[in-house]
Parts: sequence; structure tokens; C-alpha cells
Amino acid sequence: MKSWKRNVVILLTILGLLLPAAPSVFAAEKTVIIGYTASRTGKLNVEGMRQINGLSLWIDQVNAAGGVKLPDGTVVKFAAKDYDDESKKERVQELYTKLISTDKADFLISPYSSGLADAAAVIAQQYNKIMITAGAASDSTYKKGFSLVYQAYTPASRYLTGALDLLGKLDPSAKKVAIIHEKDKFSTDVVNALKAYGETKGYQIALFEGYDSGATDFAPFINKIPPDTQAVMGGGHFADTSTFAKQLFEKGVKAKMVALLVAPPEPKFAELGDAALGVIGASQWQPEAKYSEEGAKKAGVEWFGTSVADFDKTYKAKFKEEPSYHSAGGYVAGLIIEYAIKKSGSTDTAKVKEVLDGMNLMTFYGHLKFDNTPKAHGLQVGHEMVYTQWQKKDGKLVNQIVWPEAAQTAKAINYFPR
Amino acid sequence: MKSWRQPGFWLPLVIVFLWGGIVLVLRQDTVRETAFTVLMFMALASSLNILLGYTGYVSFGHIVFFGLGGYTGFYLISEQGWPLLPAALAGGALSGVIALLVGLAVLRLRGAYFALATIGINEAARAFVSNFGPFGGATGLFVNFSAYEKYGGAGQALWTTFTFLWITTLAVLVVSYLVKHSRFGLGLQAIREDEDAAMVMGVQAPRAKTITYVISAFFPGIIGTLYFFKNGNVEPGDAFQLHMSIEMLVMVMLGGMGTVLGPMVGATAYQGLRGYLLTSPIFKDLHLAVAGLILLLIILFVPAGAVGWVRGRLPALRRVLE
Repeated sequence: MKSWKRNVVILLTILGLLLPAAPSVFAAEKTVIIGYTASRTGKLNVEGMRQINGLSLWIDQVNAAGGVKLPDGTVVKFAAKDYDDESKKERVQELYTKLISTDKADFLISPYSSGLADAAAVIAQQYNKIMITAGAASDSTYKKGFSLVYQAYTPASRYLTGALDLLGKLDPSAKKVAIIHEKDKFSTDVVNALKAYGETKGYQIALFEGYDSGATDFAPFINKIPPDTQAVMGGGHFADTSTFAKQLFEKGVKAKMVALLVAPPEPKFAELGDAALGVIGASQWQPEAKYSEEGAKKAGVEWFGTSVADFDKTYKAKFKEEPSYHSAGGYVAGLIIEYAIKKSGSTDTAKVKEVLDGMNLMTFYGHLKFDNTPKAHGLQVGHEMVYTQWQKKDGKLVNQIVWPEAAQTAKAINYFPR
Repeated sequence: MKSWRQPGFWLPLVIVFLWGGIVLVLRQDTVRETAFTVLMFMALASSLNILLGYTGYVSFGHIVFFGLGGYTGFYLISEQGWPLLPAALAGGALSGVIALLVGLAVLRLRGAYFALATIGINEAARAFVSNFGPFGGATGLFVNFSAYEKYGGAGQALWTTFTFLWITTLAVLVVSYLVKHSRFGLGLQAIREDEDAAMVMGVQAPRAKTITYVISAFFPGIIGTLYFFKNGNVEPGDAFQLHMSIEMLVMVMLGGMGTVLGPMVGATAYQGLRGYLLTSPIFKDLHLAVAGLILLLIILFVPAGAVGWVRGRLPALRRVLE
């Protein structure tokens, strides 16, 4: 009988000792669902798939590191729920409603492209859910009165303006710029802002012409470029921009700079051979980017998340492909949510929103800061584009970062004379 | 023959009325969104059927009326501050007027020539809107999120839009039945079988075809306005998608062209199938391939469409399945 009593006392003592540590041993775990639709099929599937890869890498890493611990001891882990939107708008609202109502998504990531993201934003806002947009570059999305939509990409209005700054450095006497662009929402937004910026800088926009999506013959536009033009800018998406670059070369355009959208940062662009040489492209991120914790410290900005080298290495190891800026965009969309949950200590929309509104962060993807005024709420104001240029190194074409100067891997060269 | 005494008149109306009513009573957002997609295509396919099914004229570019009407209605809402209902009706009216003008020219063409001309009209409209300043050119138009406040917030605005779409669908079905069973509709069916013979018998083919074209263009204009208002923005790329035109044709063929019930069945089956495959854990990566295979099998083995097949097999049901 005595031994029975003794056993109870020992058991109670052990339990008593364990109790204070209980929260850490039996901590509640919560799975936060990140919902999104992506272009798994359709015309934007390359960009869409890269984005999915980036996000899934982030989920793997954050969960492997034990998730995010909230002050109340809850451990937050992440899971994704996604549907294919076929790069079309018809079902975007239906799928986002399903993600929120049926699949109980806590946070949302936008579909790829501004038109689709706008339709999804109406639903996100209505259900009081935060949505991070990746691949929705148009400024207009953020001028529609949404208060829960945040942009990870540099907006279209600042897509090519840096190229003009670079032109000022390359040739301070340059005066004339020709702009030839695809007539779609994104490219038109980019060049309208470029034109306005150029004019404030004193440049003369000698030609401003748009071509229809899917155009293959650019000769009529190239023939119109005045002979003393120092820079040709514009383009649109991969296929048309590549053909445009090829025809600029074949026609022997004698501009000092050629800066084009979307196509030049893609490794496939090098297949143009000599026509690619000297062409400058605007990219949201490159694996050669030099963003680092030390750099953030120097700039007095908080650093968060993985390093550029680690992202590059783990991405290549998992997906057996080079990461593009779309991959980095997918990863950083998750990283932003992780940071805001960690900082606010909550998964509540209002508290997370408060952190995002005041966020000023440096990551492997670059600087991130959102406009928090009602006029353009959620617009990305911190992140900068990097400008790449195809140059020859040991007889081979390589894509170098030429702007901004802080991130340079090589000095910019003239398109002509070569 | 009074239409309202016929079971064939009531059957489609009762189905859509009850369905929309149940969605409104249930008030579940997911159910509403699914119903919106299906009802939208049902109304679009039924509108196309008024031309395609009754006159036999294949309009490949019928989506142009959805786009132009939608753009007009959306412009009136976003730039002129019109309420949704008059804007949608104005969108429909403009589509009708354009169909009248275009119809006078292209309805003189027959067969493949007419089909090709309608594709050309769609492409021309897209090019025009991409360069038309008041419609925002290539970047399109948008409404500020606060515009939904007038309708009691975004949530309520989506319900209001759904209700308007539901009523529009019912209206399309009524018109489709009335056209089919009128003297005018008999003239159209005579045109479908042999246009020259119909003209000899006294059918004023050019006028009849033009009126039909106007009717079949009016409703897509209204639906376009409702759809773009719900999305909050409109761009040329979304408004004039040729694939939507082709999907409309597929839905009509699938259900049975020339019947009132056919486009309803076709749209429900096609969109229901697409919606299921898109979100099904097993098929979601293969949905396009599976949808294509099922369509191929149906068109190979049931060329008259579902309703046409049943009508052929069970003559007793012909008065019910119009």
C-alpha cells in the first residue's frame, strides 16, 4: 500500500515539474493556408509555373525551420491551395471565392497579370483577406481603392525609367529617344510612364508608336526611327520583343542604347546571337543581385529571410532549372506573409495589415516597402528594377547587370558602335 | 396556340427560376459564383442559338457583342456614373444597333463566308477599342472599389449582379421560345432549310435575318456589362476572346441547336464539367485533356446534341423538350 502511495507522489511530482514547460512541449499548431490561382496552362504558363515553384520552395523552407512561433506559443505552419486559372479571367472570381469560403484560405497571392489580379482583388477585399500580388505590375490596380492588396513587383511606371538614367550616364549628350511598344495594358502603362519621365528629364521622344500583340514585322516602325536617335526603347512580351530585337539588328539601327521589356532577361534570348549583343533588359531580380544583410545594415533597413546565394542554390537543387525573377517573385510573396505574421505575432488580417503598411524591409529579392496612402495603397515603392545587358565574355554571350551601379557586375557598353 | 399553356415553354423557365431562387435563398458565395458562370454561358449560348439554331447562320465572332456592349455599359458606369441596370440595358441596346448596321452588310453572305466575316468583325472591334481613347485604349477601364458602396458593398453588389443575370437569362429563354414558335420563327427555320425556297415562298429573308441578328446581339451586350462590372475592370484582351465565341458554339451544339432547352443543357454540362475538372484533386492537372476527350466523344456519338437525341428517340417528349 505504501509503495502505491509513493508511486502516486512521484508521478504527481513529475507532472508538476513538466507543467510549466507544457506550452513548449504541447504547443498548439496552426496551419495557415495560402490560396492562389496560377497560370498552370495557357499563354502565361511559363511565368505561372516558375512562380508556383518559388512559393513551394518557401513553404518547404519555412515549415522545415519549424514554422513561425507566435507569442501565445502557437506554431504557425504553412500550406498552399491552388487552382489553374488557365491564364483567363472567366473563372478567377469563382475560384478565389472557393479558395476563401470552401478551402478556408487565410492569405492570398494574386494570379499572374494585372487583369486577373484586379478581378481577384475585388473578392479578396470583400472577404477582408490580404492579397500579395506577384506579376501584377500595372499601377492602376493600386489606385482602385483596395486596402488589402500589396505589390511585390516594381510597378510598370518604373519598369524602364532606370534605363533612361543609365542612358544619361552612358551618353550625357543623348537627346532623342524612340519608343516602339506592344499595345497591351502592361506595355502601354510602362511606356506612358517612360515618356512622361523622359520629357521631365529633357529628352525628346522622337517616335512613339504601338504595334498590335502578335506582330511579326517591325520594318515599318524601324524605318520611322529618326537617324540621329540615341536610344530605342519599348517592346512587349517574349515573342514579339525577340523578333523586334532581331529586326533592329538586321536593319542596322545605329542607336547607342536598345532597352526592351520582358525578353532580354530570359536566358533563351541569347539564341538571337549577335542580335542580342548590347540589348538591355529590365528585370525584377537576377541571381547575380548583390542584396545582402551587410548592405541592409549599412542602409539602415531591416533584413529578413534567406540570402541570394542560398535561394539560387536551393532553387536549382529542387527544380533543376535557373531561377528567374518570376521564381523569386513567388518566393518573396510567401516571405512577405511570413515576416508580417512574425512581426505582428498574429494571423489576424488587421494586425498583419498594420505591419505591412509600415514595412521597410531588405530581402534577397531587394528592398520592399508599400505605399500606405489611400491614393495608391499597396503600390510597391521600395523595390528597384535591375537592368541587364547581353555582353561578350570569352567569345560567349553573358547577361550582365549594368544598372543600378551598386549592383553592377559589368559596365554598360554601347549597342552601336559595337 | 397560347405559349403559356405549353409545357415546353414552362420547363426551361421553371428550372432556371428555381435554380436562381435556391441560390438566392441559400446565400452561399461559392454557390453563387458557380451559378454565375453557368448562367452567363447559358444566356450567351441561348442568344447565339436564336441566330444559329433558327436561321442556320454560324456566327463565329458572336462574342463581339458581349465585348462592345460590355465596354459601353462599363464606360457608362465607370466614367459617367450610371447605375448598373440602365448601363447594362444601354450596353445591350448599343450591341443591337451595331448588329443592325453590321447585319445589313454581312448577312448578305452565306455559309463559311458569313462565319469568316464575323471573325473579322470581332478582330476589327478589338483593334478599334485598343485605339479608342474614351474606352481607355489598350489599358482599358476600371471602377474604383468604392463604386460598389452604392450597392451596399462589394458583397451585396455581387448578389445584385447575379440577380440581374438571372433575370436576363430568364428573358433570353422567353424570347428564344417566342421566336421559335412565332410566324417569324417559322420563316427563320425555312431560311435555315433553304433560303432561296423560303424567299420564293414569301419570307423576307434579309429583314428577318437582320432582326434575328439584332435580338441575338442584344442580350450578350447586357451580360457583358454585368460581367465586367463584377470583375471591376475591362480590357480589349478580355472583351473579345475568340475562344469564348467558340465555346458558345460548342455549348449550343452539345445541347442541341434549334431547341430552347439545348443551349441550357449544353452550357450547364460544359461549364459544370470544366468547373469540376478544374477543382478536382484527381483531374486538376489534366482538365483540358479530359474535357476535350469528353467533348469529342459526345460530338462523335450524339451529333444532334443531348436534347435533339432525346427528341429523336422519344417523340412523346417533343412537346415538353422544346
